[in-house]
Amino acid sequence: MSFTHWHGDMEAQYIYTAGIAGERFFRELKDNGKLVGTRCPKCDITYVPPRMYCEKCFAELDEWKDVPLEGEVVAHTEVHVDIEDNKLAEPFVIGFVRIDGTQGGLVHYIKAPEVRNGMKVKAVLKDDRVGSILDIEHFAP
Amino acid sequence: MTIFRRRLQETGKEMSYEASKMALEEAGLELKDVDSVVLGSAPDAFDGIHLKGENLLDGAGGAGKPYLRVFVGGGTAVFSPIAGWWHVASGLADVCLVVAEEKMSSCFPHPQSAFGHIWDPILDRPLKPNLVWIFAMEMNRYMTVHGIKKEDIARVAVKNKRNALDHPCAQLAADLTIEDVLNSEVLAWPVQMLDISPPSDGASAMILASEEVAKKLTDDLVYLSGAGWCIDSTMWTDRDLYFPEYVARAAKMAYKMAKIENPPKEIDVAEPYDPFDYKELHHMEGLLLCDKGEAPILTREGVTERDGDLPVCPSGGLLGVGNPIAATMGIKACEIYWQLAGKAGKRQVPNDPQVGICQAWGDLMQYGSVLIMRRG
Repeated sequence: MSFTHWHGDMEAQYIYTAGIAGERFFRELKDNGKLVGTRCPKCDITYVPPRMYCEKCFAELDEWKDVPLEGEVVAHTEVHVDIEDNKLAEPFVIGFVRIDGTQGGLVHYIKAPEVRNGMKVKAVLKDDRVGSILDIEHFAP
Repeated sequence: MTIFRRRLQETGKEMSYEASKMALEEAGLELKDVDSVVLGSAPDAFDGIHLKGENLLDGAGGAGKPYLRVFVGGGTAVFSPIAGWWHVASGLADVCLVVAEEKMSSCFPHPQSAFGHIWDPILDRPLKPNLVWIFAMEMNRYMTVHGIKKEDIARVAVKNKRNALDHPCAQLAADLTIEDVLNSEVLAWPVQMLDISPPSDGASAMILASEEVAKKLTDDLVYLSGAGWCIDSTMWTDRDLYFPEYVARAAKMAYKMAKIENPPKEIDVAEPYDPFDYKELHHMEGLLLCDKGEAPILTREGVTERDGDLPVCPSGGLLGVGNPIAATMGIKACEIYWQLAGKAGKRQVPNDPQVGICQAWGDLMQYGSVLIMRRG
């Protein structure tokens, strides 16, 4: 570059925590291989991932519910390039899965010969779980 | 408004100055006439300067004045003039200078890396998401629910990039065919390269004045007659993506203020936010300018062309002119002003517009800002 410039960065590091509701979600996933949500009885909404409050009525939620590992693909995309615009050797599919019996769901990788919206899928869990969203390997039919 | 390009050499302050100076000259005012300044600009991470609002303020004419920086993601482009309107409508200022600036080129190798930090750090970031995926899912959902074909979405990119041929600031004006769009590189299906607006650098500015002051400056008055904004939860996974309810709520708030009861009949020109081609359609529906799922049909029938019954994005939009996030105020709010004042030059819509609407959209598919203007 011909004009005066410097390279630099904004150095800062962070610790991100799962929070009160998130802690229980990830412990259940890690220790028991289960998905859990919280329910607002007044609004009849089951939040997955769980939240400690209802965003509609602002009640504090303490009703915990086991929810299935199964759900339905609501939207998906097949990714062909990485974040720097390099072509991927193998495209992969990421989608949003609405967990059955809940108003929520998870964004995750979906592996199937052909992915379509409306398709039923189930979370495939890793054997060796650490308490992370990646304890779910992917969703598959 | 300045040209939209990769403008690595100029600082954000310098681009803000350039746009502010142009707006003051067009209004016949000097900096000393400005009572307050509003500056809109998107995440600090693009320029790499925290407290960017403070950094930019001297270039935006804010030194020694009441000054406010606003930021609501992509919605900043229309929220900035709404914040300026508060200053004037409340009587606090007779003249408010609204400046919108964005410099995305400082962030390399691609400004997408700044977007890497907008996600929920626990639920989303381990998947290494990027923004295009999310919009691809929204587009996929919209197409699924209404059975929309990709070619009916590609039409929007063709129209807007062609309209941009008449915009002196345009970065990506082009005369393309639907096939060009359908054959462009697949990024995250159904999103292809020509479905998206490019990152850019630039600035825009506008002057808002009280009626008393404005009448002394011009005979061609344009009034801000309605404003609305609304944001939904960042947990976008809890709602159906096929319809932007938050945009509809913002629009209803603005229509009520502007006393508009039948938007398709009463709106003469529209500038909905079009960072992707499907977003123009999605937002026409959110703005209640047509029924759900009807926007692709109106587009196919030519209704939204510059000489159609409801011209949409006559500026060339983000798709054709460029997407320096906040600075797109120049092709949304400023464009509607120019169209209603009869100052849009080669872009002027021929239907003698009396009422226009502009809208911006942003954050995690959750924010809508809407402004309605009316010729005096």
